[in-house]
Amino acid sequence: MHIPDGFIAPQVYLPAYALAAGAWWWSARGLRRRLEAEQVPRLAMLTALAYALGLVMIPLPGGTSGHALGVALLALLFGVRLCFIAYSMVLVLQSLLFGAGGITALAINALTMGLTGSLAALAAYHGLRRFNESVAVLAAGWLSVVVSALLIAVVLGLQPMIGQRADGSPLFFPFGLSITLPAVLLPHLLIGIGEAALTLLIWRFARARKWAAA
Amino acid sequence: MGRGLTARILFVLYLGALVAATLIHVWWLLAAALLLSVTLAGPARWHLLRRTLLSALAFNLAVSAGYAVMAVWQGTFSAQYLLLLNSRVLLMVFLGFWFIARVDLPAVVSGSPGLSFLLTVAVAQALVLRRQVHDFEQAFTSRNPRRPRTGDRLRHAAAQGQHLLDQSLHAADETALAMRSRACFDD
Repeated sequence: MHIPDGFIAPQVYLPAYALAAGAWWWSARGLRRRLEAEQVPRLAMLTALAYALGLVMIPLPGGTSGHALGVALLALLFGVRLCFIAYSMVLVLQSLLFGAGGITALAINALTMGLTGSLAALAAYHGLRRFNESVAVLAAGWLSVVVSALLIAVVLGLQPMIGQRADGSPLFFPFGLSITLPAVLLPHLLIGIGEAALTLLIWRFARARKWAAA
Repeated sequence: MGRGLTARILFVLYLGALVAATLIHVWWLLAAALLLSVTLAGPARWHLLRRTLLSALAFNLAVSAGYAVMAVWQGTFSAQYLLLLNSRVLLMVFLGFWFIARVDLPAVVSGSPGLSFLLTVAVAQALVLRRQVHDFEQAFTSRNPRRPRTGDRLRHAAAQGQHLLDQSLHAADETALAMRSRACFDD
């Protein structure tokens, strides 16, 4: 789902960085005070796990595959602020160490997946947990992927309108919303199911080990 | 000049180069910048270039081929666009790999002890988990002389996820214990 370098116009990624800078400052403020001793290695490990989950390909119909994010899990266990910081770090690692994603697109990827994805996950969880906690966790996992995919599709689909030459040829990502919305969103409706199952599995492990509040 | 300061200066230069690459819309200038970067990268240049090509190949190929088909069909095909897009992406990815080959990432965030710690532990674990994912894939490939069915691939993904989870949980406990014994949590 990550947007790589070179496909996003500066008119989009520079304002996104300004927005993300505020969100990073808000998330990092008092980080050391908010992180309890046992939480630090757990957060680091789950950050690494979120990275590794991105490497585990889930098969999709048609011979293609997608991957999980781990955002919902981080959000449920550590809250939005820590999730945003940790997932931003995952994106930096994926981009710089392994060439997945991009630094210019980092702010957009972080805002769509790390921030909006975690907010969607927590909204679903808190909205549904009074009915059934497992369903709430499943919905959190699914929604975090689908909302992120929707936003990524919108950002990509807007590029031909924002960055183009006088003759109409594109300068950055070439496909409009009519292509990006179905191409990005539809596979992620299925990937979301895998993400939901993984989130529930790990959530139960975490609860059994008393990592998460009851 | 301190290691952290040098790393941060190089980081700023790297970011500046990325922004410049998105402001230039002349493909041969970007290609020339790529050629210059490859030349200046020293003995590691071919390794870095290979990594760049491999990591950018899938997405670039999909977008380029999709664009070519659609634009030819609509009669709006522009070879200049394909050259621009691919030279820009290759330049930006190459700069990233070159930067990380020259700069120690924790040194960039050395101003923040919390972030430095988180990054160091996460990078170490990410590398371990990545190797394990690679081992899993090789084992799966070697045991499937024919193309595996979707059900087999799903079971393989589930087994991988389970193993990564166990590994992460175990490593988190071990690290917490090791840090506690070394008084890392005492202010």
